[in-house]
Amino acid sequence: MPRITEILKCVSDMTKQSSNLPEAYIKRAMEQVEWRTPKAIQYRQTEIKRKKFRFTTNRPWTQQFEKQNQPGLRRKKVFVEPILEWTFFKGDRVEILEGKDKGKQGLVNYIIQERNWVMVEGLNCHYRTIGKKKNYPGMMVKSEAPLLVTTQVGLIDPSDNKPTQAEWRYTEEGDKVRVSVRSGRLIPLPKLAEETQDYKTKSTYIEQEKDTPAEELTRITFEPQLKTFAMDIADKMGIKEDRIPRKTYWY
Amino acid sequence: MAHLIIGRGNTITSMATPSYVALINSRPLSTSAAALGKRNFRKFLTYGKRGTRYLKKDMRTNPDPELEKVFDRGVRPVGVVTEKKFKSIPEMIPEIIVPDLNGFKKPYVSYKVPDVIQGSFGPQDLFYAVYSDKIAEDVKNNKLNEDGSPAEPSEEELLTADEAKKKALSIGSDMY
Repeated sequence: MPRITEILKCVSDMTKQSSNLPEAYIKRAMEQVEWRTPKAIQYRQTEIKRKKFRFTTNRPWTQQFEKQNQPGLRRKKVFVEPILEWTFFKGDRVEILEGKDKGKQGLVNYIIQERNWVMVEGLNCHYRTIGKKKNYPGMMVKSEAPLLVTTQVGLIDPSDNKPTQAEWRYTEEGDKVRVSVRSGRLIPLPKLAEETQDYKTKSTYIEQEKDTPAEELTRITFEPQLKTFAMDIADKMGIKEDRIPRKTYWY
Repeated sequence: MAHLIIGRGNTITSMATPSYVALINSRPLSTSAAALGKRNFRKFLTYGKRGTRYLKKDMRTNPDPELEKVFDRGVRPVGVVTEKKFKSIPEMIPEIIVPDLNGFKKPYVSYKVPDVIQGSFGPQDLFYAVYSDKIAEDVKNNKLNEDGSPAEPSEEELLTADEAKKKALSIGSDMY
């Protein structure tokens, strides 16, 4: 039986972090089971399900992704260069090196780490018509196309505003930072790097009615007592037991 | 397995050698009971198909306790079978104690909260929490005997291991 973590291994860290969804939910939403044997004593527990997913601009828990990865579909393998340390974050200033918008700089809008893709705000766009009918010509929409992080895009070095390769290095204090390979200048992380579905930055998050605030969470209410967990609950619920069970022996 | 013999002409019975040989077509035919109970129902679930009616009746009336344990699918017994009757023991029925959640309105945690890192609280920490103060006081006021035991032991210090175990087991929880 395939291991539970094999499905989740494919989903990248950035996708999981920016979604704020529990990993178990992502795995459950992504699962495409074609056939599973019934739960009975005479059956060997097996299931036929998709192991190799085609990652797209749609997130793995969406319906569009589910449609693109249906059980019967056979898709060609997409070769993705493995990158050990990811250097691109949301809000990074980046220059496009190939394509129609070559030489233009922009901010990173959307990241699809599973395909080494990055979408730059307003650049590398194309037009498409939506909702075309017989009488209606359709609505024209401008949409961005993803860019490969390895070849088509480069992080901008703050010292000379030109594209470079970035590397992760340690400072003297021991912090891990991004550094431009050409000039050695530090590339700071953008503020929007910690943006998720629920907040732009953690400090600007507005606490809702059902959220426990910091003071209540960090308050310690534990008082050590010479009681087991069951005894403590029994005292609190008012359950009184005087009977002592018979002595048992281990041989 | 019997053989159905369809003979053309006379069968060979006489001692004398025949003038012709009878053509015997033999075809196998199953005359025993339904393939000894072997059935393969993979597409749908059904009741047990193995065993004769007599065997199934016997298993129903005189169940073998060891065999029952193999096929009980992990269901814990709620009582005991004595003299062919089932006696339900209330202590064996699990009682789920749930705290009162009235007025509890905050199931989530806000994103602003810093990470809370707490050390583990082990048995030694519990010992320090319960006994350390009393021990320190006794040492200061010289209330210890020659062998180190307290001269005026508190309730917790008088507790022996046996008594403590009895107290813990009397609640009746098999987990804690």
